[in-house]
Amino acid sequence: MDFFIQQLMTGLSIGSILLLVALGLAIIYGSMGVINMAHGEFVMLGAYGAWAMNAYFGLGLLASLAFVFVGVGAFGFAVERGVIRFLYRRPLDTILATWGIGVMLQQAVRLFAGGELRYVEMPSLLSGTVSVFGVIVPGYRVFIFLFVAALFLVTWFLMFRTSFGTRLRAVVQDRQTAMCFGVNADRVYSLTFAYGAGLAGLAGALVAPLKSVSPEMGGAYVVDAFFVVVLGGVQSLFGTVASAALLGQMSGSLAYLANDTIAKALVLLAIIVLIRFRPQGLFATKVRS
Amino acid sequence: MSAHLQLSDIRVSFNGFLAVNGLNLSISKGELRCLIGPNGAGKTTALDLICGKTRADSGSVRYAGRELSHMEEHLIARAGVGRKFQVPSVFRQLSVRDNLEVAMCRHTGVFATLLRPARGRGGEGLETLAEFVGLADALEEPAANLSHGQTQWLEIALLLAQDSELILLDEPTAGMTQQETVKTADICNRLKGKHTIVVVEHDMGFVREIGDVISVMHQGQLLAEGTVREVSQHEKVREVYLGSMGIGGA
Amino acid sequence: MTRPISALRGAGEARLQFALYAAVCLAIFLVPLAVGDDFLLNRYARYLVLGMVAMALSLSWGYAGILNLGQALSFGLGSYCMAMALKLGTVPVHTGSDGLPDFMVWNNVETLPWFWVPFHSTAFAILAGIAVPVLVACVLGWFIFRGRVTGVFVAIITLATLVVANLLIIDRQPYTGGFNGITDLAQLSLFGFTFDAYSKSTYYLVAACLTVSLFACLALTRSKAGLILQAIRDDERRVRFFGYDVAAYKMLALAVSAAVAGLAGMLYTVVMEFASPTFLDVSLSLSIVIWCAVGGRQSLLGAMLGAILIAGMQGALSESEAFLDTWMLVMGAIFVTVVLVLPNGLAGLVSAGAHRLAAMLASRDPRRGETVHLGKPAEDRP
Repeated sequence: MDFFIQQLMTGLSIGSILLLVALGLAIIYGSMGVINMAHGEFVMLGAYGAWAMNAYFGLGLLASLAFVFVGVGAFGFAVERGVIRFLYRRPLDTILATWGIGVMLQQAVRLFAGGELRYVEMPSLLSGTVSVFGVIVPGYRVFIFLFVAALFLVTWFLMFRTSFGTRLRAVVQDRQTAMCFGVNADRVYSLTFAYGAGLAGLAGALVAPLKSVSPEMGGAYVVDAFFVVVLGGVQSLFGTVASAALLGQMSGSLAYLANDTIAKALVLLAIIVLIRFRPQGLFATKVRS
Repeated sequence: MSAHLQLSDIRVSFNGFLAVNGLNLSISKGELRCLIGPNGAGKTTALDLICGKTRADSGSVRYAGRELSHMEEHLIARAGVGRKFQVPSVFRQLSVRDNLEVAMCRHTGVFATLLRPARGRGGEGLETLAEFVGLADALEEPAANLSHGQTQWLEIALLLAQDSELILLDEPTAGMTQQETVKTADICNRLKGKHTIVVVEHDMGFVREIGDVISVMHQGQLLAEGTVREVSQHEKVREVYLGSMGIGGA
Repeated sequence: MTRPISALRGAGEARLQFALYAAVCLAIFLVPLAVGDDFLLNRYARYLVLGMVAMALSLSWGYAGILNLGQALSFGLGSYCMAMALKLGTVPVHTGSDGLPDFMVWNNVETLPWFWVPFHSTAFAILAGIAVPVLVACVLGWFIFRGRVTGVFVAIITLATLVVANLLIIDRQPYTGGFNGITDLAQLSLFGFTFDAYSKSTYYLVAACLTVSLFACLALTRSKAGLILQAIRDDERRVRFFGYDVAAYKMLALAVSAAVAGLAGMLYTVVMEFASPTFLDVSLSLSIVIWCAVGGRQSLLGAMLGAILIAGMQGALSESEAFLDTWMLVMGAIFVTVVLVLPNGLAGLVSAGAHRLAAMLASRDPRRGETVHLGKPAEDRP
């Protein structure tokens, strides 16, 4: 029994990190139709942000979260204004442009922060362990889980209970009509992209104490996060949660059963098969024309 | 009497909404049939069902003795069904000439076309066709540079080049001037007899110009069928159109 | 708005294009007369090979609209096929029992795996170097296009396939050489003639293959099938309703592109004298896309020259590590800029300039300046 609870906890922990990384991607992809290949690099920026805050200003991780969110969000805003907004009608080119941005970010970080691994310290407050159902769990993992849950609720509230959310959903439905009713579609898109980027930054800062920080770290996350989004289906926040939980449990057990490389290959194969048969995600419906 | 095109008891639902609900339609060879009805009556969906763009949940589409409802689109096209879309769709990056070359599709196999030059045997017929729709001067122009009306004409020319036995036209006169509409009516009248044609239209003037028999659709079903006069005096039809534009007032 | 340069315009233009392609190929053949240094020639041969892959991508991406982010897969498969044959050719030097490749001996492999055995024949290897990528492309194409997967999802699937292949090659070290790849190879011998990587002969071999595949692809784009591919790129549904089997045409484009990339991969092994997992990694695949985009995705020649130029510049600048990082940063910026403002790359720029010049000279079509532009990319957003 303990073994299963242990597995469950591992799965939940992986799942919450997946959701953390995927949430921003899901919002950007779901509402703007933009596959942001630079999302992993936004995560990486967030991690470096946390590191820099600590190295240069002596700020702890928790204190730097707000700065990271705002900083990476502002960067996302600039990217949307400077590049993405010209490409809404050319989805293939959006992939390429964001990929190019990702490469630039990696190189820029390598140039300015150095290519070597960096480490971010876990807040001492959270470095202990907690007992959940008789299983010892690192406190920081519990913290991430709770933080992600809160973040998800905030996002949901933003999307469905604020006028910004209403406007965003209007633009997603029909851009022209929304604009006729006075919605500033450009602004809505910019802010959405910025919010998604900010979330990615938060994700980076939060996973930084768990893994080492390097310019290439984003690549590992973006693939899994993308899978979460595709599995969950576009425009379905709850789908994203469900698929993050599912995948978390899956990769928890996969890593237990097979070697790391094979597990990775299997995940990718699953992505390929899923896209082939359900490109609209698992919860899509047939629509007129 | 066996119909050339026969839709029997077709049902399609989108997301639980019944777009077509037990549609029966029977059209004989060489006939020009107009399909009218209020918005959302399922007219375009009916065309989609014939050409394979949409699959029926149940029912059958028979054309020239073949069941189409389970064939792939390109095979339906090869069986002799041509389609013009509501939103004109042409190859925007290709020149008008190349658009027409693609539409001349005697040979559709990969290996057959691999051994043929792109600029080919279309030659004279192609230029006559371009002249016919008033695009002779624009042959080398990319289709993206054409005006909306010209794009409509180009797509009609593509259909003529394709030379299908059954032609489906979805609102061919949308965005056309009075003059152009007259010309389109003229083309339709000329094709009658040689081709079987189904036209979805809102413009009643146009329908009067070309239609022998009109089918009125409402809520995914056939409501009435007959000549313009018969249909416009049909009580149910008047009822359905009441409050919208009213049939006869174009 | 840049004019679509792939639109064929008149027989005169076709002749001009042919002449241009021929002139570039001739110039490539003349290079060894001016360059005596075998080391440099080897380098140039390398750039030509990369030009070939970019050209292959332009066929599927620029003409058929299939953004294959896994172009390096075909390239890598080709290079491994050649490397396997050349490895087995080195038996006397790096040998275990039965002429087992050295890395297999280190990994305690006892006998040559079955799929290595036929590679004792160079002819088989050359055949396989083309047939394997083509087969993979056909299967992948069938899987993708029969399912009507389009646009970005094609890009994602091809990318994921590439990563899977890369992971497997690295993971199966006993049979593939893993991270290190396959090194210490023999020189390619064909019809009793040996191609030294650092010699004119290898350069000419590459140049000849490049010329042949360039003109083969040009012929394809000038065939009716090539026209239909371009039509598919513009409006897939419309093509389908003319009775063409769109999936079959897309598979054709993918397969031909894979054949050329496979051939290029084989040549790359001959030129570099090894094969490695980096030949099918994501960053190479990205580079191919960049070359193709900067050169001009809708022009075979443009894509090829783009690759040769950029790879050449990178080669010239890559003396120091720090400089290479800066270069990659600059490259990324150039790429993003090209995607944004020059969708047809440098070739599009050149072609648009030529058209404007021709229009100015002839000005026989007075309407040209005032024709209506529908659906411009993004400028009509307020």
